[in-house]
Amino acid sequence: MSILAYNGGAVVAMKGKDCVAIATDKRFGIQAQTVSTNFPKVFRMGPTLFVGLPGLATDTQTVQQRLKFRLNLYELKENRLMGPKTFSAMLSNLLYERRFGPYFIEPVIAGIDPYTQQPYICNMDLIGCPNEPEDFVVSGTCSEQLYGMCEALWEPDLTPDELFETISQALVNAADRDAISGWGAIVYIIEKDKITEKHVKTRMD
Amino acid sequence: MATSVINTYIDPSMSEWMNEPHSTGTSIMACEFDGGVVIGADSRTTTGAYIANRVTDKLTRVTDHIYCCRSGSAADTQAIADIVTYHLNFHKMELGEQPLVKTAAAIFRELCYNYRDSLVAGILVAGWDKRDGGQIYSVPIGGMVQRQAVSIGGSGSTYVYGYVDATFKPNMNREEAVKFVTDTLTLAMLRDGSSGGVVRLGVITEKGVERSVILGDKLPKFYEG
Repeated sequence: MSILAYNGGAVVAMKGKDCVAIATDKRFGIQAQTVSTNFPKVFRMGPTLFVGLPGLATDTQTVQQRLKFRLNLYELKENRLMGPKTFSAMLSNLLYERRFGPYFIEPVIAGIDPYTQQPYICNMDLIGCPNEPEDFVVSGTCSEQLYGMCEALWEPDLTPDELFETISQALVNAADRDAISGWGAIVYIIEKDKITEKHVKTRMD
Repeated sequence: MATSVINTYIDPSMSEWMNEPHSTGTSIMACEFDGGVVIGADSRTTTGAYIANRVTDKLTRVTDHIYCCRSGSAADTQAIADIVTYHLNFHKMELGEQPLVKTAAAIFRELCYNYRDSLVAGILVAGWDKRDGGQIYSVPIGGMVQRQAVSIGGSGSTYVYGYVDATFKPNMNREEAVKFVTDTLTLAMLRDGSSGGVVRLGVITEKGVERSVILGDKLPKFYEG
């Protein structure tokens, strides 16, 4: 079995009209056994900056800690907030430093630039190659199911409420076709002046 | 996911799940009550981690009064059940009356034991006959046979051995037995990634079988962390 599928999990992010959304499942498992139903893989790194770190759970925790460390030092030295594009470059560098012994995570970034208000999404492979599309990004053990759901449901310029529905349906239905993702979900809707965190009720199997 | 089938050709251009064999990861259960047996199963079939079928029927008829609960390789258990159904049908015509549950179990055992090196099949044989009433025979991997008053199987069963040992009591009535099977399977589906979907039930008595389904939102609620 692939090491990226040892713990299971899924993350998706989408762009909307002047907003972005990011969603994660909550399962933590060891192969087929579900150990916890309260292990979200999305972390808030700034007022309007979120990162999703699906993959091997130990690396989810370690990368989150190391990322926060680098971001804190940047904000202390530069005395300003880090924008999502810069964060993406930093994460890419962090992962490529481990090119021949990588962290087993495939991250997803979603945020709104604190100074230009531009929405931004990005995903990467486990060695830091960035991909910055205009529509949606997916990652995790049901990424193929997520691609199908997103391609079918997404359209440009969705309002925050419409975006919430779209991203929730994409994540929930993709995870329902994956034996090692699901067991609860959290969706964050990120606008320039507020963040909405919603816990979505899902199948628990 | 437990499987010991080795694929000799793996097409590198196909996704991982297209090269994996179909396995019924599974939680299955059978329980005696006064008057017959209750059988139950989840409804998930996986190829690797992909859920190939989320509404599978793992409770398979071998005669009107004898059913089997299938776990292990989907292909193996379907093939075995078809062969046993054929033999029992023939036997019923020769005998002139309904076959015994222990006979069905013996035929399952013949196949599962003699072809043990080629098969991955864990089966619960459960039904009613007029000589001994409701009976359950467990035929796990390897092909032994063991009669039990309550039996669980499949990868999800490992999570509920304690619950079953603590909760089962002999001579339950029909409603208690149905609730017991539903609760146990729900707990197994909650923890096992290879089990899920709906709970399919069957109640087998002198009158025959009554099938029912409990959909996801109607399953009992337990602590979810």
